Order: sequence, then C-alpha cells, then structure tokens
Amino acid sequence: MKKFAYYPGCSLEKMAQSYHLSAVETARMLGVELKELDDWNCCGATAYFHVDELLAHTLCARNLAMAEAEGMDLVAPCSGCYKNMHACNAHLKKDRDLAEHVNFALEEDNLHFAGKIKVRHLIEVFAEDLAAVKAKATNPLTGLKVAPYYGCQILRPRKFEHENVEEPQYFEDLLGALGATPVDFRLKLRCCGAALIITNREAALSMVRNLLQNAVDSGADVIATACPLCQVNLECYQDQVNAQFGTNFSVPVFYFTQLMGLAMGIPTKQLGVGTEFVAPPPAMLAACRKTAVV
Amino acid sequence: MSAQKQLLIIDDDPDFVDGIKSILVKANYKVDAAYNPKDGWAALENKKYDLLLLDVMMGRGAEGIMIARKLGKDARLRNLPVLIITSIREQMAFLFPGEAVHPHFVTVDELVEKPVEPKMLLDKVATLIKTAEAKAGHLAEAKK
Amino acid sequence: MATTVTFSREIANLLHAAGGEPVSSCMQCGTCSGTCPVSDFMDVRPQRLIRMIDAGLKDQVMATRSFWYCASCYQCTVRCPRGIDIAELMYGLKRYTIWKKQYPEDLIGPAFSETFVKNIVRTGRSYEPVLATSYFFTLGLKEMLQEAQGATMLMLKGRLPVLPARIKRLENFKRMIKRIIPIGDE
Repeated sequence: MKKFAYYPGCSLEKMAQSYHLSAVETARMLGVELKELDDWNCCGATAYFHVDELLAHTLCARNLAMAEAEGMDLVAPCSGCYKNMHACNAHLKKDRDLAEHVNFALEEDNLHFAGKIKVRHLIEVFAEDLAAVKAKATNPLTGLKVAPYYGCQILRPRKFEHENVEEPQYFEDLLGALGATPVDFRLKLRCCGAALIITNREAALSMVRNLLQNAVDSGADVIATACPLCQVNLECYQDQVNAQFGTNFSVPVFYFTQLMGLAMGIPTKQLGVGTEFVAPPPAMLAACRKTAVV
Repeated sequence: MSAQKQLLIIDDDPDFVDGIKSILVKANYKVDAAYNPKDGWAALENKKYDLLLLDVMMGRGAEGIMIARKLGKDARLRNLPVLIITSIREQMAFLFPGEAVHPHFVTVDELVEKPVEPKMLLDKVATLIKTAEAKAGHLAEAKK
Repeated sequence: MATTVTFSREIANLLHAAGGEPVSSCMQCGTCSGTCPVSDFMDVRPQRLIRMIDAGLKDQVMATRSFWYCASCYQCTVRCPRGIDIAELMYGLKRYTIWKKQYPEDLIGPAFSETFVKNIVRTGRSYEPVLATSYFFTLGLKEMLQEAQGATMLMLKGRLPVLPARIKRLENFKRMIKRIIPIGDE
C-alpha cells in the first residue's frame, strides 16, 4: 500500500473542503494512504516570495522536515502549495548554505531538513496508476464531456529537465479511465488569474472569461481542476464575469477527485458535491443518482 | 603608524556603497565593495580584510545574517570584526512595526542603522579594528 | 561620484541565487510578452521591461506596475529561448520595491502580500476572510457590493471559515521566523 504525508494546505480547510473530502475518499478507495501532516503550516503562497525568499523557504522546509521525520513523500493537492514545496526542496538540496541557515531556524521547532523525500502533486499520484483507477471506476461517467484544466503550477516552472510542459496528456488519460470524454481544451495550460482576482480584478475576470469561453466552445459539460485557486476563480466569479462582459456563463467546475469519486460510486455527500455554485450537468447528475444505490 | 587598513563592504545598494566608501577612503582606508552575498563571500575567501561592513537585506532576504553566521563558523574568518549597517527595521516595518533589531544569535560586533553619520561611522570602524588587533595581540601573547 | 554599478548589474545582484540566465542575455524576441496572459493589462510588457532594465532606466522600472500584475504562471519562464527566468525576475522586483517602499500607492498587490505574510507570521496559517477585509478599502462601491455578495455566497455554502486556524507549536514557529528575520524581542 502506498503511503504519503498529506499536506492539505489552507484552502482545503474550508473554501475547498470538497477537494479535501473527495481526495481522502478516492485515495482510500485506491488503497493509497494519505496521512495528514501533523501541525503543518501555510506554504506562503506567492506572497512570501514577494517579501522575503529566505522566509518563504523556511516555512516550506518546516513542512518538508516534518514529512521527512515521518519517512514519507509529501503529497499536495493544491498546485500552489505543490510548486512552493517542490521548489523549496530542490533549492535546499542544491544550496548547502541555504539549507544550513534554514536548518538553524528549524532547530527552534526541533526539526531538520535533509532532503530525503520527494514532493508530489495528488493528480500525479493518481494518474500514474490508471489500471487501478479503471478497476475501481464501476460507475463510469459515460457521456460526460470534461475540459481537463491543468492550470499553471503543476507543470510550470519545469520540475525536471525536458519535462513536457507544453503538451501534457495525463489529465485526459485519467478522465478517460473514469469513462468520461476529455474534450480538446485548447487553453488547458492558461493561467486562471490566481491572486490577481484580488490584486487586479479587471485582468483576472478577463482571464477567467477566456477560459470559460474556450471550455464552452470545446463542448465541455464541466471543467475539471486540480487546484483550489483555479476552482474558485473559475466557478465563484462567473456572475462577475457575466456582469462585466454581458455573457451568460453557467459552467460547472469540479475537482478531478470529485469526478473520480463519482465514477467509483462514492456517495456524493462524501465528495462535497452540493457546495458548488453551479449545479452539476445532467450526465454528472445521472452518475450522482447511481452512487446512492451502488 | 601601521599600514593602511583594508575594509570590505557587502551591500546591494550602489548609492549607499558609494557614499560610505568615499567617507572611508578620505579617512585613509582601502575599501573594496561587493554588491551581493555571493561575490562578498568570494572576496572574503580571497583576500585578508581588517573589517567587514555588512548589509542585511540583500538578494533573497536577510542574507547578511547568513554571512555573519557563516563567518562565525569559519576558523580563519571568525575573528574578523563585523559592523552591520542596515535598514531592515524600515524595510520590514510592515511585519514587525516598532520593534527592535535583535541579531543576538549572531556574534556581530556592532550594529548601526542607516542612515549613518560619517563621524560615528569612522569612530566605530576605528574602535572595532583597534579592539580586534588588541585581541589578536593577546592571543599571540598567550601562545608564547 | 556616480556609481559604477549599472541597473542591469543591480538586478543581477538581486537575483544572485536564482537559476536561469542573466537578463542581459535577452535578445528581444518578444516570446515573453506574446505568451504572457496578463500583458494586455500591463503598463510595460515583459519584453520592454527587460529592455528598460538593460538600458539602466532604474526610476522608470521601479515605478512600473507590470511586475505587480504578474500572476506567477511561469509561461514566460518555460518558453524563453535564452533561458531567462522571467517570473523570478518579477518576484525579485516585487521584493525590491517592497523593501524600498517604492511602488505606486494605489496598487493592491503590495498591501495584499504584506497582509498575507503578516497573517501567517502570527498564526502559521492563512485566513481568507481577513485577506478580504484588508484590501476592502481599496475597492469602489460596486466592487464592494460584489465582494460582499461573493462572500455571502461562500458563507451560505459553508465555504468560509468563521475563525482563523492556527498551528499548535506557534511559539516555536515564531522563534523560527525570528532566526530568519531578526526583528522583535527575543
């Protein structure tokens, strides 16, 4: 059985609780143990790097050191947390002076970074064993057309040399394993605006509009995301987009883990389905109804 | 009179470096400058200095503290006197408003905050070098 | 006495620990501006910003808003044919202007970053509602109503926390931070 130190991140505590619930449930179904890291702290998002990079590394390193102490690789469901933690791990392994200094700070919490673990994104972990996913997808999402939205920080910046950051395919493959139909979503790697939704609303709404339009044009019933910030930007700001641009979007946006859970017949309540702003499309509702009797 | 003293400034602000460098040169010091922590450390390794004037906020963050700690661990450089000149309190005021600077976990000899009065700067530099020399003298004496 | 350190060099010093090639290796191909999803909203697009750095236009660069509009999507970074880590450059410039308090006053970005960091330094976690109120005053009436509406929707769906979370070993955490930023009582 695969076992990971699970780092939910601040958004999954409440705003993206449905992501947390569905991640834990689907992992259990797949025999992947996600052991929540005790007393984890915020990864710093992008804000820390705007102020002090040494502090940003120290905060991430605290989480890494705790996972190391447990002897497990760290898994993050949020793309921002994943990127920060991954970058910190790489930097500290490469720069011994930096690691020494950060470890000096970590002493205050009786922790030590040695660079012994890997940092993974949840979708990578699930997508690397499609056979297992397929075997559990007893309630296939037949006829559901899904736009696989990768967003930015899962792929960028490159995590290793020659990583395919322009034409990834694993999200589509994962959706295929659930019996759903991935659509050709041209803007699948385009930014959702991230924190600009707060710091530059005009720019972010325009970015969200472009993504929604492309999803509609590509015939998607639903957008699947792997990041809480992407989910909130794409879903919760549709009213503002409509008001701003005179559009009429009503595009459902779900976490890939919620779709996985449905395909595995997990009851909707355990997947946080019902807390969304835009209701599931018919093909998804059909699957939801079936989970009640599976 | 002993030979001209050799000083090193590590500070990312070119204008500030220009300012204090001209004060120190006029006072008959030889002054090198490094504008980032990496070049600064390379200079310390390659040349013998009588005193280091060190900024705190550079590059990624409070990297001056990293250098001061690294010096303390280096057998050859441990006794180099260090004068920290910083505006960190102002630079980070939003985070810790009204609180003092406290690098007590680093053994620095002296800390002053920018802007620096020329006379005070020269006094501190002279005193620190004198103290370091006296200490080195005692050590040599003790070895005999 | 004029300084001998060019602004391009000053930026290289700021990024001394970052990966990627120096800004001076830019060949002005424009891939960054073309690929940036926010460039239409920037007063100065990435390609021109780099040219301005190279030309030593320090005051103009520091007064620019464009790096505060960077969403950190790293598309420029992965596509730059010269291997310049442009997103890191944007981070560096944000940092530099925060330290020097040299940014246009009506920008929300710096206030947002500062509030975010303050919050984490005090609790170990980020807290969405506090983030919302911190920039509230910068909004116009229309935006304010939209914002309140959005927050109410999230509340109704049970998606906003009522109380801020905090980590358990907070005292250790705070001392840890003081070893990195040496300010405050020991």
